[in-house]
Amino acid sequence: MTGIRDYFGNIASALTTTVKGMGVTVRHMGRDAITVQYPHARLPIPPSYRGIHVLEQEKCIDCRLCAKACPVDCIEIESVHHGRVLEWQKFTIDYKKCIFCEFCIPPCPKDCIHMTAEYEAATEHPDSMIEDLLTWTGLRAEDKREIEASELKKAGKPAPPMPPGGKPGGPAPGTASSFGTQTATTAAPGSAAAPGGAPQRAPAAPAAAKPAAAAAAKPAAPAAAVKPEAGGVSPTGATPPAAPAPAPAKPPSAAGDMAAKIAAMKAKLGQKPGGS
Amino acid sequence: MESLIGLFEKLLGDLGHADLAGTALPLAGAYAVCIGTLLGFITVYAMFAIWMERKVAAHMQIRYGPMETGGWHGWAQSVADALKLLFKEDIIPSGANKVMFWIAPAIVFCGVFAGFVAIPFAMGVQIADVNLGLFFIIAIASVEVVGVIMAGWASNSKYSLFGAVREAAQVVSYEVPAAVALLVPVLVVGSLRLGDFNAWQEQHGWLILHNPFAPVAALIYFIASLAGCKRAPFDLPEAESELVSGFHTEYSGMRFSFFFLEEYASMFVSSALVSTLFLGGWTLPFVNVSHMPPPVGAVVLLVKIFAMIFVQMWLRWTLPRLRVDQVMSMGYKYLLPWAFAAVVGTAIFETLGWRWLPL
Repeated sequence: MTGIRDYFGNIASALTTTVKGMGVTVRHMGRDAITVQYPHARLPIPPSYRGIHVLEQEKCIDCRLCAKACPVDCIEIESVHHGRVLEWQKFTIDYKKCIFCEFCIPPCPKDCIHMTAEYEAATEHPDSMIEDLLTWTGLRAEDKREIEASELKKAGKPAPPMPPGGKPGGPAPGTASSFGTQTATTAAPGSAAAPGGAPQRAPAAPAAAKPAAAAAAKPAAPAAAVKPEAGGVSPTGATPPAAPAPAPAKPPSAAGDMAAKIAAMKAKLGQKPGGS
Repeated sequence: MESLIGLFEKLLGDLGHADLAGTALPLAGAYAVCIGTLLGFITVYAMFAIWMERKVAAHMQIRYGPMETGGWHGWAQSVADALKLLFKEDIIPSGANKVMFWIAPAIVFCGVFAGFVAIPFAMGVQIADVNLGLFFIIAIASVEVVGVIMAGWASNSKYSLFGAVREAAQVVSYEVPAAVALLVPVLVVGSLRLGDFNAWQEQHGWLILHNPFAPVAALIYFIASLAGCKRAPFDLPEAESELVSGFHTEYSGMRFSFFFLEEYASMFVSSALVSTLFLGGWTLPFVNVSHMPPPVGAVVLLVKIFAMIFVQMWLRWTLPRLRVDQVMSMGYKYLLPWAFAAVVGTAIFETLGWRWLPL
């Protein structure tokens, strides 16, 4: 008896479940596709995405903490120090090795290396996977002028007024002892410097438009470079490190999610010394 | 066919070779035209059906499917694929039986190709008006199994052989319920000539509504034809998750494309049978199509056929694949008894003169 009931039950359940399943599939046919036609349309990238790096070269002080932090040693930096002026030669990231762990970002005392939302890093040859983040190499005209000025200074008048942060603590802005205060202080002017730095870091054209962005960055560079210095002179390191964190929470509107990401990283950066 | 032969005889006469009209030349010309037309039709249809299948699958899975090739919704994707298959290298495994490996795709395709011959596309549009048309199609479709077994065995591959054996078991099992279910319309109409089904349904309405057993028979034949076409949920001979690609694992290029063509062509033939026997063929209810020009009937039939093909695709992307034992128990324990019951019931209905619709 149960056999007969099973038999007819099987037929009934086969028919009903098939009809039900066909209802599900035909209802899905009416829905809009959830995929996008990739090269023509793109899904939004989350702000915390870890893509290709960008370097704000004007801010970088060649402390090489990012290279030290890198677990796979993919960052190679070469530069010559002329007093306070840096002659850049090389700042490469080997994307054959890079694991996109973002460990190079938090140690940066100047907050000048970032990861963008750029993910199209495919190339045709392995050699082109070593990317140079520098926007210029060697000495620029203003660098030469600054070196000449400092040499003149050294030869002639020993200590001119030189108001905008002439020698704040001498030639050791990034030493280990001053690291804690450095991060705390740069965090505060960092938010002020964001309007200058952020537009060229717009996520729409990250790495591809680098030369153009570099040209645009040059006028903004002195302002961005001086401000942290000025902040470094005034000993705001006394303020608790957590305090500057809420300040960058309202990034400039033009900056987009890259600025939000930078702000989030700054908050992280500010909290880290405070926690330790 | 006869009209084509007459046309060629007239053509020869016009060319001043009336003495050749009595020879086999007009017949050969008519054959060439029919075969060329059918081959072209099957190729174009298969390309369209493959594109349609990919689109149906994609939209049921909430994605787009091919969108790039050819511009509008990737309409040329199948054309591009066919060209690619044509130019691909024809690889024959070193351990294969070369002769059988060569002719297996041809045999598989011929079985289905011959089935097209007897399909009445419209009033008078039929290549051969076989008076055993239904029987002919069922019989000639079985030739396909021979080709599949040859392909599986000649490939000298375990996957191919497994696929071929499954195909043999499945198709031989499902031919029985399919043929028995097709006895129901035969009992009602009293003929095996496919044109007679159209004529009968033009008068009496669709056969699927004729008596309560006709829908059962239609469903059973449809399920069995799914198995005969190796379509999901009965795609065990291919079973890409278990057997790589089943009996055509070792095939590539042109020969592989023949297996592909065969699958879609047999879908067309079985859908055409369902449409002709149960859904009125090229006739429409309340409209007298037989007094209209033949293209109208052909369009009506093609719409029905593509509706059935869509249902086959719909089922394919709805149901998971059955197990081997489930396939067997479904064929022998469920479809076959019900097919017999439908035949007996129809016989009783016909003897007593009962019917559902007063048409």
